[in-house]
Amino acid sequence: MRRLLFAVLAVGAVTIQPAFATDYEPKLDNLIEAYIRPQTSAFAETAAKLPDVVRGVCAKADAASVETFEAVYSETLRDFAHVHFLRFGPLIDNDRLSRLAFLPDPRGITQRQIRKVLASEDKDALSADTLKDKSVAVQGLTALELLAFDKDSAVRLGQAGDDKAFTCGYALAISENLAAMAGEIAGGWQDPDGYSAVLLTAEGGNERFHTSKEALESVFNALVTGLIIARDQDVLPALGTGRDKAKATRFPFSRSGNSVVYLVGEMRGVQEALASLDLMDLTPNDFTWIYNAVDFEFDNAIGLLETLEPPLRQSFEEGDAYDKVAVLAITLKSLRDTIALELAGALNLAGGFNALDGD
Amino acid sequence: MRSMVTKPLSRRGFLAALGGLATLPAFSGSTLAESLLSREASEGVPLFVSAYKLENGDYGVGVVDDLGQVLARITLPGRGHGVAISPDKTRFVAFARRPGTFAVVVRPFQDVAPEVLTAEAGRHYYGHGCFSADGKLLYAVENDYATARGVLGVYDMSGRQVQRIGEIETHGIGPHDILLAPDGRTLVVANGGIMTHPDKGREKLNLDTMAPTVVFVDRETGDLLASHALDASLHQLSLRHMALDGQGRAWVGGQFEGPETDLPPLIGVFSKDEAPILTEIPTGIASGLQNYIGSVTANASGDVIATSAPRGGQTLFWNADTGAFLGAEAIADGCGVAPIDQGSFLISDGNGALSLVSDPAQPAEILARPPGISWDNHMFALS
Repeated sequence: MRRLLFAVLAVGAVTIQPAFATDYEPKLDNLIEAYIRPQTSAFAETAAKLPDVVRGVCAKADAASVETFEAVYSETLRDFAHVHFLRFGPLIDNDRLSRLAFLPDPRGITQRQIRKVLASEDKDALSADTLKDKSVAVQGLTALELLAFDKDSAVRLGQAGDDKAFTCGYALAISENLAAMAGEIAGGWQDPDGYSAVLLTAEGGNERFHTSKEALESVFNALVTGLIIARDQDVLPALGTGRDKAKATRFPFSRSGNSVVYLVGEMRGVQEALASLDLMDLTPNDFTWIYNAVDFEFDNAIGLLETLEPPLRQSFEEGDAYDKVAVLAITLKSLRDTIALELAGALNLAGGFNALDGD
Repeated sequence: MRSMVTKPLSRRGFLAALGGLATLPAFSGSTLAESLLSREASEGVPLFVSAYKLENGDYGVGVVDDLGQVLARITLPGRGHGVAISPDKTRFVAFARRPGTFAVVVRPFQDVAPEVLTAEAGRHYYGHGCFSADGKLLYAVENDYATARGVLGVYDMSGRQVQRIGEIETHGIGPHDILLAPDGRTLVVANGGIMTHPDKGREKLNLDTMAPTVVFVDRETGDLLASHALDASLHQLSLRHMALDGQGRAWVGGQFEGPETDLPPLIGVFSKDEAPILTEIPTGIASGLQNYIGSVTANASGDVIATSAPRGGQTLFWNADTGAFLGAEAIADGCGVAPIDQGSFLISDGNGALSLVSDPAQPAEILARPPGISWDNHMFALS
């Protein structure tokens, strides 16, 4: 493929840092060592179990193999939720994030495309090697969920039927593709010359960042975006405009009954990633209360979520489930505002791309 | 799917030719793309053009559809801003953000390299431009910075190479957005009023004396047909971004350079022969906007105007006929707004999302969030 590059005009102005500029590299190192590397490794380890459990349920779909498949799929989603908001470096290289899970998908592209794959018994879907070059929508966790679970959240993978062999072959290819991508992501983060080096050589300037502060801003803003995704993309569509317009099927991974696992995972992930930065010593005294407040809100929201009875497809319209999720949406907004406005303000970190320097 | 086509391309060819323009066609060769192709055979696919910043720090301008597939990516040497789309929608010109000096002419349906324009000596671009109705001329807002004089660079787009053939006064300082009025002859220019000089970067040099205007200029004679300023008390409201409503009036969004505690009106409606009308932003909303409107866009029928306020994370909607406030949609860092479908808007944001708003009383529907992209201030419909 030909890449068109324009002669770069002289834009490489040297940014001169004042003598008291903070070096944020230790903070970025904290994030990488204490959060990103362990969490991407955990995701790779669980995703690596997927091919075997697909083989298991496809060989014999008894209670034990079904349960094992459900458990590993759920753990993979949990671990994916812990990292999906790290939308920089290995997660987004080679379109990995879209290939891992095609979200959001309000128009049901995945379903439409999988129907086509199944109807034509597309051979390219039977091997991870050829699947990875197909549409991003048909190769990840969202695709596997559609294949493996029925709309009542029961495992249908491995059930007898005319299409069993093809579906099992396709599910195996997806799971091998997922395992491979998760492994690449973990490897990418372990690599000392990989994206870690981009973040950890930012002080003084490198190809990507002028300063370590700019690098910190980019990861900090990714965490904020994670909260925006959780609320605007993962929760609000299910809430609709009112209780009578609620759509539990709009929760991510509702089909497999894993919405709570996923939502808890992404909230816990953002919480722990933020904590791992360990920014307290850089925070003016008047604002150190924010950390306790944020943890309190995260813990409350997660506690509330964990009282919900999965699958939400069945339980969302019962009892006070709707109200709890409505409170969750409010909490997510509050968390986002506290972190993006108050904490970022206290740390003097630059925020949104468009809001930052208008024109 | 990747085969190259040498003759001028249809839309289908556009997708097939992605290998030519795109540095990373996220979905090329995919069934997602195939489903688009089959849809294209029967109906037009909504396509949009926007400048962006990639996570790796690169700037560019791209064509994206409503599934978030970035179908063409053109790397830019610096941050882009606005885009002028030719009347036949076969080409667009993407301008550098002020005070940049590059612009690129892109023919997205042909397998040809974009043409790079460089601002005339002593001039820089302000980030916006528009075509004449016949597509032969391009008007770019520029700064004659030695004299702090706003000008329109006039470019002949009809030959093999673009030629700058003259310039027209904007009768003001810091012209920002420009529109061609429905008569095909009058240009509407928002003179933002803010003096800058490339030696001082983006520093604002005349905030105490700034005097923004919206002017109506005859594009054939260069004559000033009308110039409207706001009341003197609002001289620090820089009039910047515009859209035409169904009646041909220009809706103008501003950014206020005065005290942060003031809550001036930010949106006005301008027509050649009438005094400007200012809209009233409900107080509860106004206080959160940080006095800044980022984009102004009309829906396809021109009866609803959207004004985005990225610093407040809100997009406001207006009844174009009555000026009534219709509601607001909370979209974090949302700024680019383009018309989609019969009456709706697609809103792009700095967190990568493309959100559909059909009714401000309903939550926005996030259609896509391609990873690794921050959409820049403006988005334009290409179809």
